[in-house]
Amino acid sequence: MARPAHPFDGLDTPAVARALSQIADRDEDLADAYFERLEELTLPAEGDAPGVRLRREEGLAIRLVRDGHSWMAARDEITPAAFSESLRRVARALPSAFYPEPRLEVSPPGAASGTEELADFPLAVARAVRARHVAFPLRLTVRRHRREIQVVGPRLVPEAETETYYSLEAEMPWGRWGTLLPGLDGAAEEVAGALVERFRCRNAPPPEGRSDAVVVLGSGAAAVLLHEAVAHALEADSLALSGGGAARGSAAERAVGVALGPEGLNVLDDPSTAPEPVRRRSDDEGSAVTRRWLLEAGVVRQPLADRAWARGSDVLLPGAGRRASRHEPPGPRSTHLELLPGDVPEQDLVAEADDGFLVPELAGGRLDPVSGRLVLDVPCARRIRSGTPADPVGPFRLVGAVAGLLEHAVAVGSTVHPGGAGWCAKGGRKLPVWATAPSLRLDGVEVEA
Amino acid sequence: MSPPASGGSGGRGVDPALPEVLDALRRRGLDRTEVYAKRGRSRVVDRTPGGTRVSDHREEGWAVRAGDDRGSLFASATGRPDPAGPGGPGSSWPEADGDALELAAGGPEEGAGPASPDAWRDPPHLDAPLAGEREALALLAAVRRELESELPGVRPLLLQLADGASEWQVASSLRGRPGVAATGRGRAAYLRVEAALPGGAGRRGVRAELETVAPEAGSLEARGIARRLADRLTVAARGRAPERDRGELVLAPALGVRLLEALLPLFLPPRGPELARHLEDRSGPLASEAVSVIDDGRLPGGVLAAAADGEGIPTRAVTLVDEGTYRGPLGPGCSRRPGWRDLPRPGPSHLYLAPDGERPPADLLEGVARGYYLLDADGAFSVDWDSGRFSVPVVGFALERGRAVAPLAGAVVEGRLGRLLRGVQAVARDLAFSPRGGGLLGAPSILVAGLEIRGV
Repeated sequence: MARPAHPFDGLDTPAVARALSQIADRDEDLADAYFERLEELTLPAEGDAPGVRLRREEGLAIRLVRDGHSWMAARDEITPAAFSESLRRVARALPSAFYPEPRLEVSPPGAASGTEELADFPLAVARAVRARHVAFPLRLTVRRHRREIQVVGPRLVPEAETETYYSLEAEMPWGRWGTLLPGLDGAAEEVAGALVERFRCRNAPPPEGRSDAVVVLGSGAAAVLLHEAVAHALEADSLALSGGGAARGSAAERAVGVALGPEGLNVLDDPSTAPEPVRRRSDDEGSAVTRRWLLEAGVVRQPLADRAWARGSDVLLPGAGRRASRHEPPGPRSTHLELLPGDVPEQDLVAEADDGFLVPELAGGRLDPVSGRLVLDVPCARRIRSGTPADPVGPFRLVGAVAGLLEHAVAVGSTVHPGGAGWCAKGGRKLPVWATAPSLRLDGVEVEA
Repeated sequence: MSPPASGGSGGRGVDPALPEVLDALRRRGLDRTEVYAKRGRSRVVDRTPGGTRVSDHREEGWAVRAGDDRGSLFASATGRPDPAGPGGPGSSWPEADGDALELAAGGPEEGAGPASPDAWRDPPHLDAPLAGEREALALLAAVRRELESELPGVRPLLLQLADGASEWQVASSLRGRPGVAATGRGRAAYLRVEAALPGGAGRRGVRAELETVAPEAGSLEARGIARRLADRLTVAARGRAPERDRGELVLAPALGVRLLEALLPLFLPPRGPELARHLEDRSGPLASEAVSVIDDGRLPGGVLAAAADGEGIPTRAVTLVDEGTYRGPLGPGCSRRPGWRDLPRPGPSHLYLAPDGERPPADLLEGVARGYYLLDADGAFSVDWDSGRFSVPVVGFALERGRAVAPLAGAVVEGRLGRLLRGVQAVARDLAFSPRGGGLLGAPSILVAGLEIRGV
């Protein structure tokens, strides 16, 4: 099937590659050009002005990595002159040095459309909430995000990539809630269910603090736990912060083979199996993505690495380089986490967790890469009584060391659901992340009220 | 976009493309229109365990807010302002939707005093060149050297210098009449340092970070920054938690800034006055007479000082709390616009707790018979506005007869926010600003009585 037209089809990528080879003149040099177009259409909550918001941007970045040093130039335009000037800046060449100006034709973005689709969604959510026989003040902001990129290297020109997805922000008197969605069709029911659960928990008291709680994480909550405790913990740059040898990548290499969790934990990062509108064949550095086993039977197999961290390593593989924008350097991050299913039916996970908590979602988490301490925010949960979810409990936190928390994962559910999609803002660089996971039961974890 | 003819404000040098965009929107029947354009350049140099990164950025973009009585829109795009819409030829404007838009009309509010844009003179640091790669790396190396000298065994995690300059323009039209027309320039160098001290030899492993700002990179002083961070790490690593205790507390400027950041909702419309009333209702004024809070968009020597705010309204000093009495939230002339992508919102430029120009900080410490000198927050300064309670983890020293007797860590100060504010006994003259809350927040050392401190 023919590929749909892409705005970067008019880039003379062979000429760009030839130009890059002028600055990457040593064998070990890494150079690339990154072309980006972003569009964000926002329909804010009712009563907010301005009433519709459109942001469009495009630009490029040129990068050269050599001997542990990296130089990057980013511009808010895609023009031959901006490309050439960026090359000169990255090469730290004299103004008199000649760099070619390849043809860089970018098709115009065209008319803005899609406002109706966004406008219909809050109405659908409101209907789905009413169908659950509750009513509460709700302000919903809906956004459509579109990102188109083309990466070019001196020897490699992968296909251009496109991502389209939606984000929601709900404001209620008792707090905020947000999620990412690959599409809006049929999503109103799921969103309404989550919002109504927040409504029912709004005045629930927090539980007593304890260090031996049994917690069943729903698929969304399990995905957030794995994002913080596995994905962030196994990013090559985070591993380097935890200390160790001076050799580049050595901390990440030493992590391979370490048992981080029980045998039932099989965690992968695979951008090629993400929901179709955000599925990727190559990462933001142009490397082919891989089905990366982060944990296989609880043991670290392949930490997340980009080209700079994987270079010179016999162990690390590139393909997990992501960039928040042309103005940010790439770094190793996860895209689409998968927790493979176990063999325990979901109802059994709950039935065997008497006096524990059922946590459908986590509001967020924080991992300190130096100490390994992890804090997960639980906005609301259900106490499990007589093997079934019962009374709601209010906000609390799950805390512990990464390895300690994962060791408490005693059972993995048998049914996988998409869930836990959200923004990851490590280092202030905001990226969408996706996940599919079954439910997960943790025995003996610390709960902080 | 041609650069403005001069710094300052008043519409001189506004790019002709701006009125063309306003005309295009007016032809679409939108009678309230504003166009904003900004361009900037910056250099970011950082050192991490992964190596050294040098990046050079040129940013240029623009945005419009437009509407009528029936709806409104916001559109923004990279490049120069284009009457065809965001995205250039072949593009189009989104349809106005939702609620009507109110744009700022122009001058400062009645009784605010003179704030003539023509009286403004750009500070000289705006013309300083950006730090070069060699200069930036030398500064980072000096910070690292000083840090390792102050604290053997420390591991720098991030050393980052971000040096940038920008210029912006704004023009508006209100119901067929010209609104604002202003230009401005900015220049600032931010230094961020993160470091860890591994555990061992009777100390716990800790991590700390420090961010500071100066008008230009050459004004950043490596030794002072390294010493502050080393002090912070040493205390956190060696300190002990206290028993539940009360006593006089001296808050160092860094912690005072965190307090002001936590109090920001008080100073933001529309909810600020309601929150202030909630705190005042219980026992008198908002704070003690020692507390005056000011936001000054044209603070002399201020890194963010400018003639006009993000909506083109002349800036001025606004008293938010006057000797303990709440005066109101940030108003006209206090609108912040971090970039061309962002809608303008009320926010701090140089928001500070007014210092006592006569009182050295040592005076506050010497007067404490038994208490604590709190250097900084060791986590979030959280406020529950419904209950009026706050909680903040802190590090510092235990004090006896004005002298530090033991390092303090793993401690929390908590209580009623009103009690904290009304318990301020005195402030010192050592006002220091930090980049927080979207602007710069400043505080001197603060002496507070009547609060509880306990171990975590």
